[in-house]
Amino acid sequence: MTAPAPIRQIVIVGGGTAGWMAAAALSRLVPTGVSVTLVESEQISTVGVGEATIPPIRNFNALLGLDENDFLAKTQGTIKLGIEFLDWTREGHRYVHPFGEFGFDIEGVKFHQIWRKLHEEGRAREIDDYNVCALAMTAGRYQPPVQDPGSILSRMAYAYQFDASLYARYLRTYAEERGVVRIEGKVAHVPLRATDGFIEAVVLEGDRRIEGELFVDCTGFRALLIEQALHTGWESWSHWLQCDRAVAVTSASPGPEITPFTRSTAHKAGWQWRIPLQHRVGNGHVYCSADISDDEARETLLANLDGAPLRDPFILKFEAGRRKRAWEKNCIALGLSSGFLEPLESTSIHMIQAGIHKLMALLPDTGFSPVERDEFNRLTDTQMEQVRDFIILHYHANERRDGDLWRRVREMAIPESLERKLALFRGRGRFFRYEDELFAESSWIAVLLGQGVIPAGWDPLVDGLDEDKLATSLSRIHEMFARAARAMPRHEEWLARNAPARNDA
Amino acid sequence: MIARIGIVGTGVAGWMAALALTRALPRTEVFIIATEGPDHSLGPFGPAEASLPDFPYWLADHGVDERELLHAAHGSFSLGTACSGWAGEVDWFLPFGTIGAPLATTAFHQLAARLRAIGQPVRLADFSLAAIAAASGRFVRPSEDPRSILSSYGYGLHLDRAGLAETLRAATGLRPLGSFRAFADDEVELQDGSRLTADLWLDCSGPAALLAGDSGWESWAEWLPCNRVVENWNPAEGIPPPYCHAGAFEAGWQRTVPLVGGQSGALFYSSAHLPEQPNAIPIVQGHRPRAWTGKVIALGAAAALVEPLHGWNLAFLQNALARLLALLPAAPSGPEPAEYNRLTAEEADRVRDFAILHYKTNGRAGEPLWDHARTAPVPETLQHKLDLYASRGRVPLYDGELFEAEDWIAVLDGQGIRPRRHDALADAIPEEALAQHFGRIRSLILDAVRAMPHHGATLRAEGLIA
Repeated sequence: MTAPAPIRQIVIVGGGTAGWMAAAALSRLVPTGVSVTLVESEQISTVGVGEATIPPIRNFNALLGLDENDFLAKTQGTIKLGIEFLDWTREGHRYVHPFGEFGFDIEGVKFHQIWRKLHEEGRAREIDDYNVCALAMTAGRYQPPVQDPGSILSRMAYAYQFDASLYARYLRTYAEERGVVRIEGKVAHVPLRATDGFIEAVVLEGDRRIEGELFVDCTGFRALLIEQALHTGWESWSHWLQCDRAVAVTSASPGPEITPFTRSTAHKAGWQWRIPLQHRVGNGHVYCSADISDDEARETLLANLDGAPLRDPFILKFEAGRRKRAWEKNCIALGLSSGFLEPLESTSIHMIQAGIHKLMALLPDTGFSPVERDEFNRLTDTQMEQVRDFIILHYHANERRDGDLWRRVREMAIPESLERKLALFRGRGRFFRYEDELFAESSWIAVLLGQGVIPAGWDPLVDGLDEDKLATSLSRIHEMFARAARAMPRHEEWLARNAPARNDA
Repeated sequence: MIARIGIVGTGVAGWMAALALTRALPRTEVFIIATEGPDHSLGPFGPAEASLPDFPYWLADHGVDERELLHAAHGSFSLGTACSGWAGEVDWFLPFGTIGAPLATTAFHQLAARLRAIGQPVRLADFSLAAIAAASGRFVRPSEDPRSILSSYGYGLHLDRAGLAETLRAATGLRPLGSFRAFADDEVELQDGSRLTADLWLDCSGPAALLAGDSGWESWAEWLPCNRVVENWNPAEGIPPPYCHAGAFEAGWQRTVPLVGGQSGALFYSSAHLPEQPNAIPIVQGHRPRAWTGKVIALGAAAALVEPLHGWNLAFLQNALARLLALLPAAPSGPEPAEYNRLTAEEADRVRDFAILHYKTNGRAGEPLWDHARTAPVPETLQHKLDLYASRGRVPLYDGELFEAEDWIAVLDGQGIRPRRHDALADAIPEEALAQHFGRIRSLILDAVRAMPHHGATLRAEGLIA
């Protein structure tokens, strides 16, 4: 039996963040004789909403062998230790979702269980005070983590905030140096094979035809290949995630300080992001168009900037949901063409990265057996659903009084998978993480507690431990973490010393 | 509030449960009730248990001294399972440890597939320290230094059931309150006529499921054809080999767990393919989907029965106990029992798939049992694994996997399944670099094994044999 021939021609359509991330990763195949072509048009602007990331981005950069300081310098990049949530739980409330873990488990008992009991009895501080990332971000400080498991700094995790279009440009240089061919042009139509409906080629305006065996759709919301050509279908999640627009604007930095975190502030009909870069701040107001007008949304955004706007705000329209199959026939959708979840937990770039990882692992041959496709789609579905549940949690568990949106999401029926998680956590703070789940237990705990989902009780194992000793351990842990955070340099100083922005990318 | 927990069954499962509970819940009253007959609480799989590498950690976490246990249970060490007769002529080994090492983020078996594609034969076990050490009868406890190649494996234990149960009992400090007679209305009646109540009952009585028997059993007989077991014990002098053996024959397979002083055996067969043997115990492989029903939780073989091709029955119980403790105390109407059952069933399904894998991929042509097993449909989750592996050499993992992708690959590869294509990134590595990588691993392993003491020397040094 001869196996079908391997794929020799890969065509990526669309050159935003998704397209160039895919091109950079797939360039590893070029030495094996695979041609990787990327088609993009300078006339089409890219959507730069995904400027904040989560820690696994570092794996992606490491896989490419990028130098961190060089990458930060060329993308106006900053460090992100977590997200600050203002007014989400109720007006005037603040909590943080720090990367990195809370405290240390004691005698095999989870830290948050011990914290729950001692906090109840007034013998523990707020849970953020036992997380080194939370302490450092609040103090505006940063220092790279260390590997040594004995060091407090090994409890840290971090991600980046950067200009997504500069990141795409940076990866373009990387990919082109490694043999990826870029073709300028706008796709006019996508001919399909008569026999099986596979994509045959993309034809550009001016009739240039680009043949391929495998097509990667990175065309964003337009979903030129996966939807317009292949009519794969869309599953809407707008009944859970009701925001359908964002108005975005960049603004001047308010001062020398650069916060090492993203901020999310809840408003009457949505929420506003604030992502600090080295040279400016990215802002956007995500809202539900059924509740407020575009004008009102724009005014809210502008009224809540902490620096002068640098351009006119622009509006994006979207719908939460996913493509029914991210891999259909010989086309794989990455990024917005495969699904959309609002950037509340900065997962957009991660979903691209996860898609690329799966594509590399499941790269088909020209026989396109359905096995790889099914596995790709199964994993994509699971990952999307897990992130979806995490985002819904932020909305659902709210006590806000203003705005009908908040009442609706509080009262709505949520996915059964999330219902189960909430019920178990409400009882005694129990948490079971699923295979490959993106957000770790500490992330769920931060948001659950932050949103006011407080377990009724605690793990009975805590009662077997000496309470006075526990109280002493907790204050020691806090002191150690606080001391470690205080000793770090200020974030903007660290950046100025290690990765000052350069615009020669 | 759960103030009293009763355990029924004084076999290995009952005492493991008692030990885990008394240590984790010092304020809860835990008592145990004896049952009659041989200890089948983890299954009627021979008078000894073979564990996976996480059991030594469980023992340490529960304050059981490993050396004392080995001594009491005629124990020895295990580096994996040798499988013969499953793939046809070729024998293979499932090691407790890594096989090879990745190169430039490409998995070792993908590299091996590339070498095979250019005509070089590769046997995966040749690149596993545990497999080579086992084959040459050597054993020493692994190193804790992650830079040492001696940290690339783990070890399981071979223990006789009676010695294991007695050591666990001693660690709990408990004595049975009496002997079981009957269970009704959430109360246990003892042989002396007295009645006991509890807030929660743990049924550790084995396949008899004296308490949980009515809560429904899902049979897996359509995929796992062996429905009889004969337990046996063969005295033997000399040094026990540091691994288990699973040998397939026309109508089933024979398990051998070597101990100091003898070999524990269990003959698994299908009664449709072999005349009834003396002392055969009928079994129905399967599980109890609602292991936790009301006040009763079935554990061990009362909850799931899958022939122990690799020693998963201890691990399955360890995980069940950890899961249970994480969910206690549970309100009667709370979400806990459903969550427990969901997670437990998931894990049981994955172990079931792992067992069926050995049958589905067998190489014994011309024998009715094996021909049928090879051609009959298998659960969809397993079929998906097989398809993806056959196509790309990848193993998709689901929630609740007891075995890692590397274990699945070792079995698939051992059974002679070869992916049609390897990872495209393996082609980006120059042949010479591959050859060097393989050569280096091989010589590191051989040097390390040569310097290792024989299993007998280690047993002697620990005072386990004379």
